[in-house]
Amino acid sequence: MEIQKFTYDNKISRLFLNATIFWGIVAVLVGLLIAIELVFPKLTNGISFLSFGRLRPLHTNAAIFAFVGNAIFTGVYYSIPRLLKTPLYSQLLGKINFWGWQLIIVAAALTIPFGYTVGKEYAELEWPIDIAVTIIWIVFGLNLIMTTLKRRVKHIYVAIWFYIATFVTVAVLHVVNSINIPITFLKSYPVYAGVQDALVQWWYGHNAVAFFLTTPFLGLMYYFVPKAANRPVYSYRLSIIHFWSLIFLYIWAGPHHLLYSALPDWVQALGVVFSVMLIAPSWGGMVNGLLTLRGAWDKVRQDPVLKMFVVAITAYGMATFEGPLLSLKTVNAISHFTDWTIAHVHIGALGWNGMLTFGMIYWLMPRLYKTPLWSIKMANAHFWLATTGMLFFAVPLYFGGITQSLMWKQFTEEGFLKYPNFMETVVQIIPMYALRIFGGVLYVTGIILLIINVIKTAYAGNYVRFEEDEAPALPSKLTPEPGHRGLEARPVMFTIVALIVILIGGIVQFMPMFMIKTNVPTIEAVMPYTPLELHGRDIYVREGCYNCHSQLVRPFRSEVERYGDYSKAGETVYDHPFQFGSKRTGPDLARAGVAGSSVNKPNSWHLTHFEEPQKLIPQSIMPPYPWLLENVLDISTTAKKIRALQYLGHPYPDGFDEIANEDLMKQAAQIAGELRSGGFEIDDNREVIALIAYIQRLGYDISKPADQISVND
Amino acid sequence: MTKDKLPSEQVKVDYEYDTLTNDRLLKDHEYDGIRELDNAPPSWFNMLFIGTIVFAVLYLYILWMFQPAGLVQAKEYQNELAKAKTTASAEPGTRAIRMVLLNDEESMQNGQKVFNSVCAVCHLADGGGLVGPNLTDKYWVHGNSVKDLFTVITEGVIEKGMIPYRDQLSHQQRLEVSGYILNNLVGSEPANPKEPEGELIE
Repeated sequence: MEIQKFTYDNKISRLFLNATIFWGIVAVLVGLLIAIELVFPKLTNGISFLSFGRLRPLHTNAAIFAFVGNAIFTGVYYSIPRLLKTPLYSQLLGKINFWGWQLIIVAAALTIPFGYTVGKEYAELEWPIDIAVTIIWIVFGLNLIMTTLKRRVKHIYVAIWFYIATFVTVAVLHVVNSINIPITFLKSYPVYAGVQDALVQWWYGHNAVAFFLTTPFLGLMYYFVPKAANRPVYSYRLSIIHFWSLIFLYIWAGPHHLLYSALPDWVQALGVVFSVMLIAPSWGGMVNGLLTLRGAWDKVRQDPVLKMFVVAITAYGMATFEGPLLSLKTVNAISHFTDWTIAHVHIGALGWNGMLTFGMIYWLMPRLYKTPLWSIKMANAHFWLATTGMLFFAVPLYFGGITQSLMWKQFTEEGFLKYPNFMETVVQIIPMYALRIFGGVLYVTGIILLIINVIKTAYAGNYVRFEEDEAPALPSKLTPEPGHRGLEARPVMFTIVALIVILIGGIVQFMPMFMIKTNVPTIEAVMPYTPLELHGRDIYVREGCYNCHSQLVRPFRSEVERYGDYSKAGETVYDHPFQFGSKRTGPDLARAGVAGSSVNKPNSWHLTHFEEPQKLIPQSIMPPYPWLLENVLDISTTAKKIRALQYLGHPYPDGFDEIANEDLMKQAAQIAGELRSGGFEIDDNREVIALIAYIQRLGYDISKPADQISVND
Repeated sequence: MTKDKLPSEQVKVDYEYDTLTNDRLLKDHEYDGIRELDNAPPSWFNMLFIGTIVFAVLYLYILWMFQPAGLVQAKEYQNELAKAKTTASAEPGTRAIRMVLLNDEESMQNGQKVFNSVCAVCHLADGGGLVGPNLTDKYWVHGNSVKDLFTVITEGVIEKGMIPYRDQLSHQQRLEVSGYILNNLVGSEPANPKEPEGELIE
């Protein structure tokens, strides 16, 4: 057989490595800032783009798509040529992938803090950026698949299976969840509404965790752990079993984010059981990673790279045990909407994604620069800072989350809520928020050590851009093999099979939810929003209120007592996007417009509260929103918004788009006039008036007397 | 796995073994120097996987066939309510209440606690009023007897945005907070008193 020589070009990988570090420190610093804001809510007083609701999506997007995204590309572009014994299919596509991705991140950083958002978690980016993401992702996938076709090894390795699954699934998730109707260049409405939007969003959100934070990193684990430990992979058969079961089962588990919501019981049950079944496939990955280190444990004690890998894989095992646990209804009833969730995701992000990335960087640096790591000691210090930082972050939040949840649920012997005032339950856990900041500072310090170490190593060595390698050519006609081994020799077929496997779960859940009416029983009393309320709702989305306030009363006595009647599917049919939220840093608002509900407040209260919450509630950790009282509401888009919603089936009368602004001004004048007569100075045309109108509408429709409400099953 | 051990010399030629663990390496499985072992998944892994699948099938079957309260949230909620009714020691309205102005120290402390956590949100902690009326002056919109205050707290003033506290505060708490307002707040000097509202009642 003819031996062929070829070269690997490290350029793309090195670019991505630098970007990973840069965005990594940005992501954690933004995280640190918003953690501090929760303890000092008036820290950024009056600066809209630094408020918690605007920055929290920036933090999550930066951590997931900028830090982890660049880490994925670093590892993938480094490993695929070597695993396939061929240069990358196209350096140009690689470069487009790199610069395109960085531009997308910059675009995200320039839009999200300024309130340009779709309002769905981890899918906040507006439609032009969504299109750019799609294009760049296809560029990445094309490069990946084409490189496998140029390979000189007959079979594709398990790491590449995971890369392929990542490519096809993220493409499907992103496209389906981002189908929005553009209103302006940076504003759009999702085509799905309410409960259906929620189902699509959490199918996406959960599987972003699965196919952006998990499968690509399992691929990286399968390359970098055996390389760093110089040990064979523990079990090929386990790889096959856990790969296919993982990608098949994950897709079904999204509804566990919507337990006790208005989603039908059968969909929730699917979310529960598929989450439980995920333990084994997830742990299959952990087992294959940890047992690959058999015979190398003496090295683990010394080598910071292996140490980080061990903590990463262990954190993965913990998070994937906790995930199914949190999906059980009894546990979820306690954990959901609390900081328990925040602790859970940070075990995954700081432990699994962070540590695996750091280990990979410390392993790559000496190879990219042909010199030993500048300081092993410093890398070890980073290891300890990251590990303790993660624990100081997570443990207080576990404690705080459970404490607060139990306080929400506690009744007195006489049958009253023990803590009817939400604030009491917040005050109780503020010390935990403070401790979490300490954990964050440790973790950030670790990354600063990494940056110093990387720069020093780069200066000490010489960048090796090209590496020579050689391998026998692959015969043009491959001898067919039976079973999985045969599939491994056919990457395109492998991609197609993976695509089919990941489509099944979504289709089974979506079709009935969209096709069968009884799954979303409509309520006649529920009407579309008035133009003013619609604008108010868009401001609610823009300010990221959903990051701290849910709009979903669960069918528990404690919640019905605290907020009002539990949420129904039919209430949400005009909600583009849905705003259930996933965290209650503040109280639920689904019943804020129901007269007599404990969350219902007069307009003058809201006005004062938006200006400065601490005027009314001194211990409040909500930031002031003075700009809402200053900004003039932009009503130039009203007609477009109405037309878009008419297109989506909202029963506004024909021609309403033309007169919508008159209706809007009438309602604004009424609210502002009433405020002024009560002694509160505010003009009709301020944004806050629209937001107040929206809040007073929440839950209002179904609070009308029972004989006016009929549910159409 | 014992069945993986190889009996004959002849077959051994076809396999290589990992020197550290003595596990069998797979032939032709080498990717950039990474080898793969021919180990079977651990048996506990198989048991765990099968166990969770059995759980899933049973769970869905039970939901399908029996619609039990634990899996159907509307039923679970009804059960919770039913249980709460039987355990609640006192149904509001079943006990006669005497409208007396409390002024003992314990009641005043309790009253202050309730006032600060519930009422201060609109009337401010010093009672000076902001969204809600000033409670320190002698002007009253709905009267100033214990019974008047008790009624306002119980029923709320919905049109003004004050919610009813019937379901949130016990009778005793409503009496205590009424007493706290009348004894401690009326006549005090708040930082930023709101303009008087209602009529003067001496």
